[in-house]
Amino acid sequence: MAKDLPVVPSAPPGTMALKPVAAAWRERHPQIIEGRCNACGECLYFCPEGALKLKETEKGKELEINLDFCKGCGICAHECQRQALRMVAEYTGPQGLLG
Amino acid sequence: MRQLLNGNEATAIAARLARVEVLASYPITPAAPAMEQIVRFISEGKLKAKFIRVESDHSALAAAVGAALAGARPLVVTNSQGLAYMSEVLYHASGLRLPIVMAVVNRGLAAPHTRFPDHGDAIAQEGSGWIQLFCENNQEVLDTLLQAYRLAEDERVRLPVMVHYESYIQSHTREVVEVPAPETVDKFLPLHRRPALDVDNPQAVNVVTGPDLYMDYKYRQDKALQDSQEVLCEVDTAYAELTGRSWGGTLGVYRLDGAEHIFVTMGSLASTCREVVDMLREDGLPVGLLKVRCFRPFPGEKVRSLLKGARTVTVLDKNIVYGSGGALAREVRASLYGPGPEGPFVYSYIAGLGGRDVTSEDVVRIYQMVEEKVKGNQEPLPYEWYGIE
Ligand code: SF4
Ligand code: SF4
Repeated sequence: MAKDLPVVPSAPPGTMALKPVAAAWRERHPQIIEGRCNACGECLYFCPEGALKLKETEKGKELEINLDFCKGCGICAHECQRQALRMVAEYTGPQGLLG
Repeated sequence: MRQLLNGNEATAIAARLARVEVLASYPITPAAPAMEQIVRFISEGKLKAKFIRVESDHSALAAAVGAALAGARPLVVTNSQGLAYMSEVLYHASGLRLPIVMAVVNRGLAAPHTRFPDHGDAIAQEGSGWIQLFCENNQEVLDTLLQAYRLAEDERVRLPVMVHYESYIQSHTREVVEVPAPETVDKFLPLHRRPALDVDNPQAVNVVTGPDLYMDYKYRQDKALQDSQEVLCEVDTAYAELTGRSWGGTLGVYRLDGAEHIFVTMGSLASTCREVVDMLREDGLPVGLLKVRCFRPFPGEKVRSLLKGARTVTVLDKNIVYGSGGALAREVRASLYGPGPEGPFVYSYIAGLGGRDVTSEDVVRIYQMVEEKVKGNQEPLPYEWYGIE
């Protein structure tokens, strides 16, 4: 049986077919180190995938990472003046590193 | 109403009857008069459509792709070099499953430059995923264009369709054409809106697709194309009920009863061969004609069942696939190959390229040459060129 697909090949904007696939080949992703990020927003300008944004919360602005679009390049962690981001390995799935 | 129309006028009237909403075209000889006539209809208010002026055929088809995505009913008109220039977008149209209809006025491909008819331009796009229908006269041009929209828009099909007719022999030659009443066509072909784009649910079309899905998309596209054979036959029957004219769906059969030697061809040569069949039948010779109307998808199973009992099959191709032969002969042989009793020998002739006339005398001559080979137990060559001394 062929997969159930839309007749006109289409998917939500910014994604590849049906699902964001960056997650499938990323080797690592950024993680915010508790207490270091002051939500200056500098890293947003460097992320080539637009995976970062500042969201408004009760406590004020907070950095948010959308891992659906993050390709794991690490530019954000490199650019952050406060070393507020750490890159962590992508351990997903039974196949190990590249799930 | 009976009117005296050339092929391009028949196309323009079909566009008007089909209430085409977008015409995207770049002028090219000999298809341009069809475009001009449709633009005239638009400017006189007889057709409510948008004429998109473009700088090339590539853009013309791209504009039609956009129109179809938005759910409008587009028509494209072109031929030869224009069709070749469109080829990249052809694959987008079929892969995106868009019901675009295109009138193609078959003209030989350069180089050397020619404006005269053959099917080389059409055959070059045999793998493009478009349904390809060939017409033998201007009545069939008009009828087929109307059928093409219904076929393309059918939920089971959702694929683009090329309607082929030959330059000058058809495009610039007037014939009596029965034009159906607009009300009849409206019944047969109501405007069907199926926009692929929805502003409330934004989607990106033609997204990057990985190995996990690409093949499934292609499987579904090919299946829809294969299944369109049945739908074409249904559409042709429905058209016949309203207008009294059927074109046989995928194939036109003529005097196949008891036929031992069967001609197979496409386009205007079918009319010539039909005359020759009548002439030879008068002399008591058991000949018949199988006209291939639908070249893509190729109705291989039907062709096989109609030809397998014949003694000899002669295929006349108005195209040359360089280094391989005639495209139609190749399909016919492929469909006859396989298990079961040995089928007939298939003789393949390349004829009429670049507008070289193939008259009924030529067809009789080919018939006689083949019969001599049969008598001499001569197996067919892969293909032969007719008329090269
Ligand atoms: S991670 Fe660094 S650069 Fe990004 S918002 Fe936080 S402090 Fe600023
Ligand atoms: S790792 Fe690269 S892609 Fe991911 S958030 Fe940082 S800059 Fe963006």
